[in-house]
Amino acid sequence: MLNSPKCNSPWGLVHYSSSLAKTICIFDQAAGYVFRKMIMVSLDENLLIEKIQEGDQLAWSELVLRYEGRLTNYAKGKIKDHASCQDLVQETFLGFLSKINNFDASRSIQSYLFGILSNKIADLLRSREKSRTVENPVDSSGNYKVSPFIDPAMGASTWYRGDEKRKLENLALTQGLALLISELTQKKEYIKLKTIELLFVNALSNKEAANILGISNRTVATYRYFANNFIIDNLKELDLSPDVFPEFSEQDSDS
Amino acid sequence: MIISKAILDAFIDDHLLEQDNIRVEKAVRESPELQARLSNIIASRDMGDHSIGAIWRREHLSCPSREELLSYQDEALDHQRIDYIKFHLETVGCKACKANLSDLNPSNSFEVDPAIREKHLQFLENSKVLLPKKS
Repeated sequence: MLNSPKCNSPWGLVHYSSSLAKTICIFDQAAGYVFRKMIMVSLDENLLIEKIQEGDQLAWSELVLRYEGRLTNYAKGKIKDHASCQDLVQETFLGFLSKINNFDASRSIQSYLFGILSNKIADLLRSREKSRTVENPVDSSGNYKVSPFIDPAMGASTWYRGDEKRKLENLALTQGLALLISELTQKKEYIKLKTIELLFVNALSNKEAANILGISNRTVATYRYFANNFIIDNLKELDLSPDVFPEFSEQDSDS
Repeated sequence: MIISKAILDAFIDDHLLEQDNIRVEKAVRESPELQARLSNIIASRDMGDHSIGAIWRREHLSCPSREELLSYQDEALDHQRIDYIKFHLETVGCKACKANLSDLNPSNSFEVDPAIREKHLQFLENSKVLLPKKS
């Protein structure tokens, strides 16, 4: 496995960078140990956020101008009605602004905005779908219908784990993935990166990925194994259990 | 096609390849069990749980930067990188990068239309009331 950089300072020392991400060492006193936090934003973005948090109108205009075009194009890719696209983008900005004081500076503004917009697009498409197929959520006695397939115990472990723990797990997984992608990019191991991307991002099977890339199933299986181990090792380094991510125990049946 | 959790996850994020997306959408419409699994995944996400694929997609971890996309447009990158970005755009089908690439093309500027420009300025003006108050 490729070695990840070690932290040697408790206070914000940038020790790793690439075009994809910068990693900063942070000492988290609440958690009681050092962990590395992925910073995928440029400094001027942080400054922009700070200024908006202070009520700076020019900074707000700058942020809207900077992201409006790409967000609108993204919405247009999913919704044909352009007026709705513009409305959704504006609602996205309003949603962002309403929570500006709680914005997590470790997140990229672009990813955050695309996330809000994706949810708004999904809500709109769902509401349009519902208006075509009228649903009756209550039975004849007036009780809400419950699907027989919904597991009532779903999410028990999730609740048990608590918010902070989940945040830490997601942060660690993000970090592990970013490190993996960055290392493969730096080493120009693009065939490995392409394979892993098809498996994780597009959820293809080993066989499907092998067909697209023109490599053997066995090679794909090897790359999947490599990626899983890389991320698991990274989680273990942070004293986190990979068991909470069930994908690691799932093996592709056609490998 | 066996519909795994990873496939449903990618379906929620609209990140399946086109043919797979059509197949899954049809299967979900026809199967109450799949609909329930989909609801469970969404509920689990709302509580903060995320799969590898969901995190990768949400954080755009393999997306090239805007600067790199500009260089890609000008073919000012090494051929391996150009090949990878082409794969990311066309095979993976990254909609965020496609939106960025389109935004980098000056002829696609959304501000060309005066009506849109007016609406944009109006929005900026109206949204200012939501800005935190200067201390």
